[in-house]
Amino acid sequence: MAELVGVLGVTHNPLMWGILRESVPDDMTGVVANFDRFRSLVSDLTPDVVVLVASDHFHMLMMANMPAFMIGKAPEMRAAHPSEVRQFGLPPSRVSGDPELASHMLGGRHLAGGLDFAFSDEPWLDHSFLIPLLFLTPELEIPVVPIFTNCNAPPLPTSTRFAELGTYLGEAIRSYPGERRVLVVGSGHLAHELGGPRQFLGTSPDPDFDRMAVSWMAAGDLDAALAVTSFDRLTEAGNESYQFLNFITCMAVAEGRPAVFAEGTPTRFGNLPFFAWETR
Amino acid sequence: MSRYMVNKVMWEVDRSEDALAAFKADPRAYLESWEALATRPISPYPEGGSLTASEREALTARDYGALYVMGVNPFLLWQFARSVSVPDEMGIEGLITSFREAVEPHGYPEFFT
Repeated sequence: MAELVGVLGVTHNPLMWGILRESVPDDMTGVVANFDRFRSLVSDLTPDVVVLVASDHFHMLMMANMPAFMIGKAPEMRAAHPSEVRQFGLPPSRVSGDPELASHMLGGRHLAGGLDFAFSDEPWLDHSFLIPLLFLTPELEIPVVPIFTNCNAPPLPTSTRFAELGTYLGEAIRSYPGERRVLVVGSGHLAHELGGPRQFLGTSPDPDFDRMAVSWMAAGDLDAALAVTSFDRLTEAGNESYQFLNFITCMAVAEGRPAVFAEGTPTRFGNLPFFAWETR
Repeated sequence: MSRYMVNKVMWEVDRSEDALAAFKADPRAYLESWEALATRPISPYPEGGSLTASEREALTARDYGALYVMGVNPFLLWQFARSVSVPDEMGIEGLITSFREAVEPHGYPEFFT
């Protein structure tokens, strides 16, 4: 049987990549330390596969065909799109998949569960997937099941739906008959803005939201998180903050356990999220 | 007005190096050929689209404030602005400043499609 070995939540800010390739500036030392800590956690957990919950930013998916939740089930995937190679210096990469586990999550001939996932036989991962992988598994040697969530093109799934996604993923992992050690990783933001008046302010657009959000994780308080995370409140925290909801999915995978590590690490890009849950 | 069509053309310019080069060389001609694609009776997939005169004008002039207030997707708008303006016209710091000045008066317009 498959085993859920842990749950992590991390930032995917792509501008970090170029900055940290050079040298580590003072404001990024905390982020580097946390990625070191999380990379060592991943090594200790020895996962066979990473189920990675992230939100494509109009690289693979566009409004002509916009799924709410989509599972990638290819044996191998491209990662990094041309504009990301140009703008962020991301390395064009190949990542292995796990079609058997992904197909189990989808449910065989009929879709399982109540979520009606879309699927992709040719997913192409953008920085929301690749940045966590490059920092947590730099050799990209561990297969990945990508779970795409729509956080960028409204109408969006509600925060309750993101929690249901997490509950479903946890059950699907535990019920998989094959031998797998499965690590779940959520990729997202705390308060974050891009393309609006509060982008690149050098600080968080909403420190109060960040403090609240970190305290929900530390307490394992899913109900409090769901009560606050409406579209309007998240937009007040910054027009890209909806990707915080991938961490609500993580909370639900962890079945309400308090996070063993929860931090919004301050940087020039605002507070960057680092969350870890033990699941045994 | 179609927010979707403006989003789509900005998306295509950002994602394709050929489209980006063509748009930067002559935005008006690029938009004209993009709109012509949508009028072909048979296409392999839904290429191109149609724009209103004010949308065409805002894209050609890179009027980020006008595009923002129309309710285009802020993420797509920023990616588009960054790709067409940096580094040929200005550095990233210059774009951050001029972009903020352009969008700040408009607050947070609805960007649903």
